[in-house]
Amino acid sequence: MTNINGKAYAMNAITPMKSWKTPILKAFFFILGVVKPLQKDLKNLSFIHFARWVSVGRNSFPHLSEQQPREDLKYDYLLFFSNFNGTWNQYIDAFSSVLYKGLDAVWIWSEKYPGSRPVTSFKRYISLVQFDTDYYYNVYPHSATNDVKAALRVHDALTAFARNSQSLSPAEFGNAWLELKATVAPDLGSTGIAPEGT
Amino acid sequence: MSNVSGKTYGLTILSPIIEDNRLDICHSMQLRWYLSQLPRDCRSPFAQLSSTYLARLVVMDDVVFVGHPAAEDHLKSRYLIFETNFDGDLDTYLQRMATETKEFVEAVWKHCVGFPGTNDVGAFIAYMKKCQLNTTFFFADVNDQTVESTLTALKTQAALAHFMEKHEGVAGAELQRAFGEFYQRLSKSPALPRGGNQSRDIRQEKIPHE
Repeated sequence: MTNINGKAYAMNAITPMKSWKTPILKAFFFILGVVKPLQKDLKNLSFIHFARWVSVGRNSFPHLSEQQPREDLKYDYLLFFSNFNGTWNQYIDAFSSVLYKGLDAVWIWSEKYPGSRPVTSFKRYISLVQFDTDYYYNVYPHSATNDVKAALRVHDALTAFARNSQSLSPAEFGNAWLELKATVAPDLGSTGIAPEGT
Repeated sequence: MSNVSGKTYGLTILSPIIEDNRLDICHSMQLRWYLSQLPRDCRSPFAQLSSTYLARLVVMDDVVFVGHPAAEDHLKSRYLIFETNFDGDLDTYLQRMATETKEFVEAVWKHCVGFPGTNDVGAFIAYMKKCQLNTTFFFADVNDQTVESTLTALKTQAALAHFMEKHEGVAGAELQRAFGEFYQRLSKSPALPRGGNQSRDIRQEKIPHE
């Protein structure tokens, strides 16, 4: 399935919005971007590599030639692209359980959005507005975002150890090595292929 | 600017696809067929564009209709969505696309309205910027690294786990000597292949199109 590459899933969704609601949504995103603590839940979920929302005005679709017919749309549109780890169901369940307030603040402006709770009607809505990916590339297919963060901590710890242990006696080196092991042990889980599921 | 989070740039391109009723196979179908054959591993054109984390190409046929009482809307063109996340600045990335993955770019965007080709790199960059949509909100979980530093860290993590397992119970001068050799080898070893190795290919995707 081309929505999946290794441990990452590419989700695309598009939802219609009445034009007068678009500035309200943009204001919300502006606040979310400026007030970093509001992103805490999104960050703590720790299974999204990258995600973005893009609002497109009904008259803002790219028009590049007179031969290309101009769009004549009634709605503005909100595009959503996410690169997450795990299965589609896990993702939607986690969103509905943890991020429901944030999700509702984003999509309440879209037509016929049912709310993120109960999750069954939310899943039905997402499946209606989602469309599939034709090609998906992932630079580290065997690594989830948690694997990346763990690897960065290990790399930092090892670099510091290598720098600081050069002039130690064998006994001192042994003690420092034990400390390093204790520090990096939680982050040494091996990476590999993703579990299968929907 | 919302297109940027830390060191990461989130580029969204929406290119209208050529509609030509005289063709037996329309441009969007030809494009889909080409994309289905494109390697997704270390042979991917994005593996050559070494600053790319994750990228996707999607043919969008139409907008959705979410049911009554919402009004029904339809697009007059199909669009190619190009969504990519990379480290660095936009102009350098687009320039590299045009020069380092020229064949791929030509094969994909030749199906799109107004594509000027890649011989004139400036014209290509201007075209892509005309098709660019500004991101309203961009989230990057890790945004203070580059692709290279991340791949180096993943290599380090795997190598250190292996070294620790192999040297469990070794102590003193012997451990110190072994670590010195290990650390030297690690710093000289090649980076992980961008996009993973070839063994992950999905067999069905290699079946020729009927």
